[in-house]
Amino acid sequence: MLNQGRIDLLERMPPLKRLLKARAFQPAMMLLTLAVFTLAILAGLIGTPAGNRNFGIVFVWIVWWALLIAVLVPFFGRLWCTICPIPAPGEWLQRRAIVQRRPGKLWTRGLRWPRRLKNIWLQNFGFLGVALFSTIILTRPNVSAWVLLSFLLVGVVLSALYRNRVFCRYVCPVGGFIGLYSMLAPLELRVADPDVCVAHKTKDCLTGNEFGYGCPWMTFPGSLQRNAACGICFECLKTCPKNNIVLNLRAPGGDLLVANERRLDEAYKAFIMLGCALLYSAVLLGPWGWLKAWANMHTLPHWALYALGFIALNLAILPGVFGAAVWLARRIARQHQPLRRLFVDYAYALIPLGLAAWIAFTFGFVLVNSSYALAALSDPFGWGWDLFGTASTPWTPLGTTVLPFLQVGVLTTGLLFAVHTAYKIARQHSAQHHTAFLATLPVSGFAVLITLGFLRLFLG
Amino acid sequence: MTLGLILIGLPVAVLGYQYWLRPALSPTRVIDIAARVPEQEGFAPDVIRVAVGETVTLRFASMDVTHGVAIGPGLGVDLGPIDPGQVKEITLRFEHPGIYTYYCTTWCSPDHWRMRGTLQVSDPSNPDVVPAAQPDPVIEALIAEGIDIDAVHTPSADHGDMSILVFQPSAQRGKAVIAGGLDVPAELRDPVWRQSHTPAEALERLTRQNPAASERDRLDAIAYLWTLAPADEALATGERLYNQNCAACHGQSGGGDGPAAATTAEEPVAFSDPGYMFERRSDVLYAKIRRGGMGTGMPNFGTLFTPEETWALVRYLWTLTFGAPPGLDTG
Repeated sequence: MLNQGRIDLLERMPPLKRLLKARAFQPAMMLLTLAVFTLAILAGLIGTPAGNRNFGIVFVWIVWWALLIAVLVPFFGRLWCTICPIPAPGEWLQRRAIVQRRPGKLWTRGLRWPRRLKNIWLQNFGFLGVALFSTIILTRPNVSAWVLLSFLLVGVVLSALYRNRVFCRYVCPVGGFIGLYSMLAPLELRVADPDVCVAHKTKDCLTGNEFGYGCPWMTFPGSLQRNAACGICFECLKTCPKNNIVLNLRAPGGDLLVANERRLDEAYKAFIMLGCALLYSAVLLGPWGWLKAWANMHTLPHWALYALGFIALNLAILPGVFGAAVWLARRIARQHQPLRRLFVDYAYALIPLGLAAWIAFTFGFVLVNSSYALAALSDPFGWGWDLFGTASTPWTPLGTTVLPFLQVGVLTTGLLFAVHTAYKIARQHSAQHHTAFLATLPVSGFAVLITLGFLRLFLG
Repeated sequence: MTLGLILIGLPVAVLGYQYWLRPALSPTRVIDIAARVPEQEGFAPDVIRVAVGETVTLRFASMDVTHGVAIGPGLGVDLGPIDPGQVKEITLRFEHPGIYTYYCTTWCSPDHWRMRGTLQVSDPSNPDVVPAAQPDPVIEALIAEGIDIDAVHTPSADHGDMSILVFQPSAQRGKAVIAGGLDVPAELRDPVWRQSHTPAEALERLTRQNPAASERDRLDAIAYLWTLAPADEALATGERLYNQNCAACHGQSGGGDGPAAATTAEEPVAFSDPGYMFERRSDVLYAKIRRGGMGTGMPNFGTLFTPEETWALVRYLWTLTFGAPPGLDTG
């Protein structure tokens, strides 16, 4: 039973359904975030170069990041994609409208997105590229602004060339990991009855009708089993003539067990996210000044070494060690599936641990630096403004006494979730508890080692 | 329309407010000054022209590291530290033409001492005429006396080598020694005489007058006399100026071992070394501070401090040598 054990929020809360069906709701939110986004880019380009006082740095890399990774993704999945301003100009140009459904074709060249790029490898490498320069991007407002602006421009260009939200689905480095971690969220958009969709001839959710556009994410809701490829833009809610769309509250993490949709690109995303969290923690929170200097490009040869280590850790070392653990699991549990299949499947067990690590890491710098937000709110450009009387708010680190407990709690939760998921995946390959338990041991051992590494970095 | 309002209207509104509306609403002329380490430009702008009678607001913003801003000489303006991205401002009105210097008071980089800007106050009726700096009578007198202020001063053979002192002279003890009956020649009690003579010269006279006194008593008495200050306020001013401007090289305790000592062309002088300081004249120290040390890495402070502030600084230097004076005394 597809929706068993789930609560349909749209059915329980009719006002919510009316709000989400309203054509103005999503554009209104996007206009709001676009205004903030424009302000952030502007502050980065012409505001103070001191990152801690620049709205562009403080509100993007502290406030937005904390909201995204600690609230939006774990609890609401891809909700950020619903209101993200980056694809907005491109999408509105395609539609030649912001709110109303404009009849006729989308304003685009309508090129076909290459089949070999219909995965998240571009997002993986895009994220790695941004992450490699993150110590620069996260601290220098003008660099940060150019990166954000380039996202916006790439979004517009791709909208002009390809139909729908190709940028969001296949290119956006942020969207890649949001999609991966959205599979853990206790919120999902699905259909009430897939048979209704199968029987429905016109497939308005894909083609659009007078109430809305065809799915901008090029996803057929009728076959949705996971959150990863649904940007919860609610167009299908508006177009579905069968009233078949539901917005469910569910137990978190169910998507990880959808075996037929597991892929190598997503598995690698799990490693990249885990590896980047490790390296970020080491560079930004660790006691190694030399590593910070290398990452900050103080000298090119040292940065080249750092880059090499960074790429090796994410693409070879972590997957390699994990591959060895999976090989061991396959051997001791006498599983006969191909090693590659098992490698991909078990990698999904690392997704909860990766999200937990990012949340714990984020707590580490957000609580300490959040007081900068008040000053930046009143003086976004560092020009001596005092819009809300908070420009002189002194830097006050918050939660320093509870921080280690928070980090340990989050990491432990992530580890337990990972071990539990690994066991469930093992059960998909071995009907017997004993065999699945044995297969879980090496994979869990890997997760424990990674967790200990994070604890060492967070707690010193 | 809405999209254009955000993508174009918002930047136009921000820039319009900052560069048109905000200055228009300000009751004074506002001058924004960006502060960066001198290796990256220092103050920008580094020259500001103001008319007599004009009220201006100087708004300093630190663009990189923590700086500190003070304006001198004689204005008593000290904005304190300005953290990266922080903005501090001061509104001033000048009644007379003159030249002032705004300068960094926090050790911000190896070239910190170069971080200065000039505030030129001119008469509106002669805006191109900026008054020249007045000659300093103390420095003029030293030159007339034939003293080479820039010379490297070595211990004088006339007074013996004072560089090897077996004990640290103590101003605290010196007061008791004098109160106990040590015969101090009249000129040693004269602050003007002390300004133009070294402790070594004073020691020679004191020894002639008190041949039976112990060497330690005589040295302590000198230490006491050289640390006499007219008021504790002056000493506090000297201490503040020293910590802001001198301690980075000369060390907070005057040991010549400040964090920037390794970056100077010559090893900074150790004021806490009585062997060195026994050969120094206060007026020469004064001149060195105001003119700077040619080729040594010692910047000039004559454009920053008033003569009174410079004397307060010299008096503070002697306390680094001999310790704090036991109490206020007019000498």
